[in-house]
Amino acid sequence: MDVAFYIAAAVAIFSTIMTITRLNAVHALLYMILSLLSVALIFYTLGAPFIAALEMIIYAGAIMVLFVFVVMMLNLGPHAVEQERILLRATAWIAPAFLALILLAELVYILVQGGGGFASIGVMEPQQVSTALFGPYLIGVELASILLLAGLMGAYHIGRRY
Amino acid sequence: MDLPDFLKILPLVVLAGTTVVLMLVIAFWRNYKVTFFITLIGLIVAFITLPFGVSNKSLQITSILVINGSTVFYLGLLIAGCLIAVLLSYEYIEKFEGNREEYYILLLLATLGSSILVASDHFVSFFLGLEILSVSLYGLIAYPHNLRQRIEAAIKYLILAGATSAILLFGMALIYTVLGTMEFSRIAISGAQPGNQNVMVLAGWGLLTVGIGFKLALVPFQYWTPDVYQGAPAPVTGFIASVSKGGMFALMLRYFSRVDIFANSSLLALFAAIAVASMLYGNIVALMQHNVKRILAYSSIAHLGYLLVAFLASGSLGPQAVAFYLVAYFITTLSAFGVITLISTPEHEIEELKDYESLVWRHPILATIFTISLLSLAGIPPSVGLIGKIFIAAAGVQSSLWVLLGSLIVGSVIGVFYYLRIVITMFRPPEEQVESVISLPSIYTTGGVVLSLLTFLIISLGIYPLPIMQIIARMISTLP
Amino acid sequence: MLTIPFQHGLILAGILFSIGAMSLIIRRNIFFILLSIEIMLNAAGLAFVVAGAHWGQPEGQIMFIFILTMAAAEVSVGLAIVIQLYRRYKTLDVDAANEMQG
Repeated sequence: MDVAFYIAAAVAIFSTIMTITRLNAVHALLYMILSLLSVALIFYTLGAPFIAALEMIIYAGAIMVLFVFVVMMLNLGPHAVEQERILLRATAWIAPAFLALILLAELVYILVQGGGGFASIGVMEPQQVSTALFGPYLIGVELASILLLAGLMGAYHIGRRY
Repeated sequence: MDLPDFLKILPLVVLAGTTVVLMLVIAFWRNYKVTFFITLIGLIVAFITLPFGVSNKSLQITSILVINGSTVFYLGLLIAGCLIAVLLSYEYIEKFEGNREEYYILLLLATLGSSILVASDHFVSFFLGLEILSVSLYGLIAYPHNLRQRIEAAIKYLILAGATSAILLFGMALIYTVLGTMEFSRIAISGAQPGNQNVMVLAGWGLLTVGIGFKLALVPFQYWTPDVYQGAPAPVTGFIASVSKGGMFALMLRYFSRVDIFANSSLLALFAAIAVASMLYGNIVALMQHNVKRILAYSSIAHLGYLLVAFLASGSLGPQAVAFYLVAYFITTLSAFGVITLISTPEHEIEELKDYESLVWRHPILATIFTISLLSLAGIPPSVGLIGKIFIAAAGVQSSLWVLLGSLIVGSVIGVFYYLRIVITMFRPPEEQVESVISLPSIYTTGGVVLSLLTFLIISLGIYPLPIMQIIARMISTLP
Repeated sequence: MLTIPFQHGLILAGILFSIGAMSLIIRRNIFFILLSIEIMLNAAGLAFVVAGAHWGQPEGQIMFIFILTMAAAEVSVGLAIVIQLYRRYKTLDVDAANEMQG
């Protein structure tokens, strides 16, 4: 089971790097879906099967599909791909990659300072999660629905054609 | 959660309920005046149900919210701020040619998000309140999307708010990893144990500061402020400047006083540096602007710097000075942006300095109102802004924060220059017969009445601030 | 079940987060900027689930559900604004849509 975690982690990192270096928006989105599926597998190996299912259904299945719809609707064409090719020379990546590496090195240094401990003690049953959601975090669920309402009203009004 | 708990969070429930009622009414009968009145009634009912929450001790509601005296005070301030914003934007939104009623729904939802921030005691409610506020603001900034600058302002705010939310979340995850809890009170207890004082918690707090600093427009997270203030419609800018910052500041007070910031000298130094940088940067860059909204944007950066001085004061005066200055800042900011709202329309925002030329000869009452609010921002007697600054200075002296007090004084002196520049532009005698592009409204409109009331408050609280100070002293203890 | 240290999970989250941050800085197409924000949010969510699994509490998963909600709401409003951006400016390049001086 350990090997599954490392393989899924490698696939996630590889597909995320492919996502950010693509010129065509639809290719990038498809690589992103692959990355999200491998993160879902990581959640499963950590003992959170409910969250793995949610990640696949909502993140990869709804949010990314919404992205793909809007990209297709705007229908930019090969002209946009040419523009991206001009903007993204290989030399343009050097400075951000350097800064990101410094950030990552600091983060790894901080993380190895912490004590030992295993990644997961066991499988967290969905029942435990839902008991907590109906118990102390009941107001949180209501607030999440209000958040979606705010997104709905904003998207409805801004998308209108005047 | 039983009935007494439910009664304590009744203001939040009323705000959410008004939103639902509004949606139902709009579905069956789309009438602008009816929507406006329902919003007003909902806000007044929410304000009336506030005293249910007042008690002598803090009360935890289901471990993610806490209601005590300071929560009730800040809730009252936010609801009053939203009420003023609704009254000021009545005529402005009436001139918009699209759907006008959804504006009030988004405004109520943003106030609800800010109220959750004020009452929050847990990372979950912190995050959810912040996001409800942010998502409603995306919709509000781009609301009259006939002008291009609104879309540009909304895109800038969206990108930066999304990125800083992700950074904030990562910081929360780091703190949660070490301490194993997300409640503010337990973080305080387990963070004080010597085994847990490691660098990962500090890194988490640093990342958390990024998210908080963005919302409060502190240096170096302030780049969105001038463009979003300029591009958003004037009443929404007044709302962003007051309610959204007030909510986040109240949360910051609660969080950092629970985890006892004064024991950690590196965090104190960080906040002191941010405060000095904000005060100096905001005042100096505002000198070079010729757009009234951008001047007010940079001045709001400086004002948040002044508030941080009171936040860093560790004595008993600190929280009370913050509360008083927030009241003064709310009244003054809403009044200044209210003047801009009254003379603008959704198609044409009156924001350049040259449009205010000789305003006092064309519309003396409006020019006087604007002058009084600018003098209060500058801290010139007899306005409430001066009393606020004196209060902050007293808190600073009590804790011996000399460097911060020095930059407060330097910043205020620089500030007088650009505030008076606007005043002088308004009082300049007219050279020739200028074509007036401004719609000059009568003072007997809703907005005009509200502005007159705000101006009266600025002057009367500047001369006699005692009632507000007594309310603050009664409701705000040293540990929010 | 697993015998890997939890730091590896957090390091993976950190790597994904910095890849997203790197992409946020360099790309100029608004779609890719929104996509990088989603990568960063997903990485932060992964960190929460790893931390929750380490402590054996459901809070990590609950926070992840709320992060998912926030990402959905933000993406829907963001894409509506992108559609309006395309209608007004006829391009998706954010540098071209930068008319107000900073």
